[in-house]
Amino acid sequence: MTRGFHELTVATVQEEVPGLARSVVFDVPATLVDTFSWRAGQHITLQFQIDGEEVRRTYSISEAPLQNTSLRVTVKRVQDGLVSNFINDNVSPGDVINVAPPFGSFCFTPDARARRTCYFFAAGSGITPIYSMIQTLLAAEPFSVAYLVYGNADARSIIFRAALAKLEEASEGRLVVRNVLSRRSFWSFDACWRRGRIGATAVAQFIAEHPPEAQDTRYFICGPGGMNAAVRTALRNIDVPGNRIRLESYGAASAEMDLSVDGCESAAWVTLNGQTLQVSVKARQTLLEAIRAAGGVPPYSCQSGVCGSCRARITRGTVHMRSRMALDDKEIARGAILTCQSVPTVPEVALSID
Amino acid sequence: MSGRMLHRLPVEAYTGQDWFEREQEMIFSRTWAYAGFAGDVAEPGAYTSIRAGLNELFIVMGRDRRLRAFHNLCRHRGTQLLRAIGKTEKAITCPYHDWTYDLEGNLLSVPDEQQEFGQVDKDCYGLKTASVDVWRGMLFVHPDPNAGTIMDWFGEVEPHLGPHDVRALIEYPNTRNTYEIKANWKIVVENYIDVYHLSHLHSGTLAMYDHAKAEYGFVGPHYAFWEPLAPDYAADIARNAPMPLVLPVDQLGAWVPMLFPGIGLAESESSWSTFTITPLAPDLSRVENRTRVKNTSSLAFARQAARSARYWRRSISGKYKSDNNDDPMTSGDFTAEDVYACEQQQRALKSPYFEVGPAARGESPVIQHQEVVLEFLEGHA
Repeated sequence: MTRGFHELTVATVQEEVPGLARSVVFDVPATLVDTFSWRAGQHITLQFQIDGEEVRRTYSISEAPLQNTSLRVTVKRVQDGLVSNFINDNVSPGDVINVAPPFGSFCFTPDARARRTCYFFAAGSGITPIYSMIQTLLAAEPFSVAYLVYGNADARSIIFRAALAKLEEASEGRLVVRNVLSRRSFWSFDACWRRGRIGATAVAQFIAEHPPEAQDTRYFICGPGGMNAAVRTALRNIDVPGNRIRLESYGAASAEMDLSVDGCESAAWVTLNGQTLQVSVKARQTLLEAIRAAGGVPPYSCQSGVCGSCRARITRGTVHMRSRMALDDKEIARGAILTCQSVPTVPEVALSID
Repeated sequence: MSGRMLHRLPVEAYTGQDWFEREQEMIFSRTWAYAGFAGDVAEPGAYTSIRAGLNELFIVMGRDRRLRAFHNLCRHRGTQLLRAIGKTEKAITCPYHDWTYDLEGNLLSVPDEQQEFGQVDKDCYGLKTASVDVWRGMLFVHPDPNAGTIMDWFGEVEPHLGPHDVRALIEYPNTRNTYEIKANWKIVVENYIDVYHLSHLHSGTLAMYDHAKAEYGFVGPHYAFWEPLAPDYAADIARNAPMPLVLPVDQLGAWVPMLFPGIGLAESESSWSTFTITPLAPDLSRVENRTRVKNTSSLAFARQAARSARYWRRSISGKYKSDNNDDPMTSGDFTAEDVYACEQQQRALKSPYFEVGPAARGESPVIQHQEVVLEFLEGHA
């Protein structure tokens, strides 16, 4: 379960939207090619020391796993975001960054014989895994078609605008891109398919305009939690079966996090590698923070509830999870928790880390 | 049993009820069945019903504009739920006892459930699903819900078909026609894929193509065929084509495949047509033709017809000259010529003196089609 970090050298950095988003491409040495092979839609965790603090963030790989493509992430500045701004301001070619290998289950796995209609709904930097998926579909699934509905504030902030236009142009009708812009504008270069946000009306209108030819349909959604929920509900309301829908939230995590519960001071019994550790947890402290402060070496990676590396099972007491993206309701019902997101809500808890 | 053969198949294969029934089971119940044009089921709630061998199926479009296919059998006593083509609201109700299903096939309600049954476990009585897809603008269904992808079936032959963008073409008004041929479906197929007859039976009617340069062969169970335009027709194609061209001038030709089983296409420089054969009885088949043409004004069609009239008057005629227009051999209509030949062949099989002669090189597809049929009947396909 522990996923080690590896030192990778930055090969190039590229401004995608000047001043707003940039891509970082890594050199992967021959010895690590297998470790760092990925599936379209997966992400990697980067580790930095910023102001003496160790921080980790998870970013989707924004490139398809094809021949001649490189491991690349594309990072958009988040207002007051520590790491996104650090990457946009400070990372340069030749830098060595600690990177944990690709993971994640929001994936597009191509099948050369499949003939599918894939509808993609993305907003903002949610395009990064979707871009990788679309590139993969076009290259490796010749009978399938892709439709992308892509939301942004304005035309200037559209990541991969030119690259997507080029893919669409070369696709012979296998890719259709439609932009949705939320900010009002009178400029003609801000022309788009719709104004506003991607919600029920946009979804219904798009599918009516682009009904599937290939009847094996798939729906991939990647944007902020609010959009994801709205698109998913819109799809369910027109009877799209749930098992055809895949979604992933990204995040200016704080917007998605449930900080309504502070948690309380608690004594935690933590079973880790067959040993039981007694850990005292302060109010507002996560179990992961407390375990590490007590000298434990638990598995963890993204620290944002996305990756599931820090998964544990609660055997006594209760916790509040600020974010729980890596777990579904069934797993939670069986006692699964993410230590990086959990604050105890009772004075005594026990958990086991498998 | 006489033991007489028509090349690889016994004569009974074309005349006997047993053969007919085995083909219904082993071929038409186990392959993708043509079910019309995608435009037939184009709105949420629209449906069409189809028979595929022994199976009664229907296709309905959901609100997500995805097609669903189900066996057209109420789970109560098997009554047909939907008839012909039409539009249903959010639910499908069986006319017999009003059992009602949603468009996902879930059983929603059973009238008087409490009094009549106590309780019905509705989860166990959803409609049985089938497979459905759209390919080249056509609907296809397969009775098996796990039939695999339609590209497993058509993927290999597709590159040998015409470069037409079928979805961009529109159905020509009033050209959909259905007729019966008093012949076994295989006779109709064999006539369609017999290259030898093109220059003879159709010497007057298909002179716009250069049959000597035809390229053809089987790709799996499917037959592919291409031939170029005849030089005098091609020389002034802009004038000679009967309808506005649907292909760029550097890609002209006629692609006339026969997809298995009995799904013929005629993809030409100015039209795109289907020729679908449905076996009705050992000696009776139904053919349906539908034609798509360039999406342009009726004025453009009228102009092109006028412009090309001279070529057609001069170059296209019946096999024989006569004033008797009822004779297929003088009609100048290649379909009438084909129907005549098929019905003659079927009738000949009944004669105790019938004995087949040698197959020409241009009849090699006939032999290969018979071999495909045998493979399916033996369960190897």
